[in-house]
Amino acid sequence: MDYLKLIKRFIVIAFQDVLAYRMNFWISLLYSVLNLGTGVLGIVVLFSQVETLRGWTLASTLALLGVYLTLGALRGLFIGPSLEALAGMDGEVWTGQFDFTLLRPVDVQFLASFRHWRPLALLDLLLALGVLGTGMAQMGQTLTPGRVLAFVVGMAAGLLILYAILLAFSALVFWSPGFLFTWLFNALLQMARYPVGLYPGWLRLVLTWIVPVGVMTTIPAQALSGDLPTGMLAGAVALALAFFAGATALFRTGLRRYASASS
Amino acid sequence: MMQEARGKRQETRGKGQEAGSTHHGSRITLSQINLRGGLALIRRTWLSWVQHRSFFFLLAFGWMVPPLIYLFVWSTAAGGGTVGGFSRGQFVAYYLILIVVNQLTYSQTNWTVGDVIRYGGMNSLLLRPLSPVFDALSSEVAGKVVYMLFIVPVTAVLALWLRPELHVTLQNGLAFVPALALAWALRFFWGYWLALLAFWATRADALLALQDALIFLLAGQVAPTALLPGILHQAATWLPFRYMVGFPVEVLTGQLDAAGILTGFAFQLGWLAVTLALFSVMWRTGVKRYSAVGG
Repeated sequence: MDYLKLIKRFIVIAFQDVLAYRMNFWISLLYSVLNLGTGVLGIVVLFSQVETLRGWTLASTLALLGVYLTLGALRGLFIGPSLEALAGMDGEVWTGQFDFTLLRPVDVQFLASFRHWRPLALLDLLLALGVLGTGMAQMGQTLTPGRVLAFVVGMAAGLLILYAILLAFSALVFWSPGFLFTWLFNALLQMARYPVGLYPGWLRLVLTWIVPVGVMTTIPAQALSGDLPTGMLAGAVALALAFFAGATALFRTGLRRYASASS
Repeated sequence: MMQEARGKRQETRGKGQEAGSTHHGSRITLSQINLRGGLALIRRTWLSWVQHRSFFFLLAFGWMVPPLIYLFVWSTAAGGGTVGGFSRGQFVAYYLILIVVNQLTYSQTNWTVGDVIRYGGMNSLLLRPLSPVFDALSSEVAGKVVYMLFIVPVTAVLALWLRPELHVTLQNGLAFVPALALAWALRFFWGYWLALLAFWATRADALLALQDALIFLLAGQVAPTALLPGILHQAATWLPFRYMVGFPVEVLTGQLDAAGILTGFAFQLGWLAVTLALFSVMWRTGVKRYSAVGG
């Protein structure tokens, strides 16, 4: 598999790069711990006042936070850096460097999505899995193979939706360079820290169907606790596939508009 | 995000410097130069920021979301009854005011000062016939104006929609004004002295992230400080962060009695004195150490 070999190469390069900046490791660790600490304490404070909230307990909300942090860490590991290098500030489309990417004999969408890795995000991933594990242990639920399977499928669907939305926003750069809609999305994504059920009805609809950030975290967390209504998982997978197809189409259309740049 | 802001500010700074040097050539007394030059700089910076308003609106939206999340979550928790003595409408009022106060006291300058030191931009600031504080103040004024253009209408719409429950007494209203002013001064100078650590360490901005996390936890964002459990509540009372955001909001929403308000003012003034002392020490020793890099 050439693609897998390429990914391995990209990861090795990223590790070599990161080893040159050792101080950055400690700073990154500080940021990761702060992100984790504020998230966990936010939930602890809330549940110090109430026992349960619309069926969610401290334990299940912690597990949901673990899902949120895991998705965030995976995004920071490769999707984020790769798409940022493409369409972010001073990205390849902006500077015209994208010409060289187009010339390579590999699928452009693959390169744009997997090329840059940020190994320090593995710290986030470890911490996130720790939160997830703690939440699950606190729930005291027995994990049946069915639930684990539903959880893995839900996570995959969530990650695919996240990737599709980011890809779509990155593709918009072909129409309007300097587009900062990823920021708008990042602000909305924070809402996925809490179960969608805790928001008022209209917002729940927006977070489920229009900007489905709620689906990404709520469905895997519900799969773990066994509260997932039947059909929701299939719905999430269908939604993810639809978003992925739409975003890919948008990216390919945008690609045709690309007319290089010069300084 | 900050890179873009920095770009905007460097642009501003370049032009402001020209204005400063013409004043310098025309031999006015020092105090006149400071005031006129300072006001010109403030006006210039403000005009430049208004031009880039959509960018700053986006930033303001990003800062608004975390309090909004807690507004919704606590409203749901209160439901038809109360949680920790707060009803749904009171949570709404608390958080809407907090969004405005947070934006008014948030000092973006703190992030840029460190960069100015690291990239050698401090040179032009030090050569100006103005105290570098004017540079920070001009972005403060510009920022507040631009952010309020976004925050005030949005909060007003949310208020009409979410039906806050707020009864402001004359006493609370009057106490709110100095509480807000002191909160701004405390947050501004506290962030400034932390940013000045860049004179000694290149990655001092990591401490600003720590500060933001503590403000999130202890200044009343995650919950009104009255609802914080045990040790967090103690920390909120004694550390300076509550007095940068949460305290004025608590005053206006009538959570504090007269004694509580006076104690709060005492803490605010005490921490402000400590902060100003730290700031002036850091500034004086830092500038002596400063040696520019690059060009």
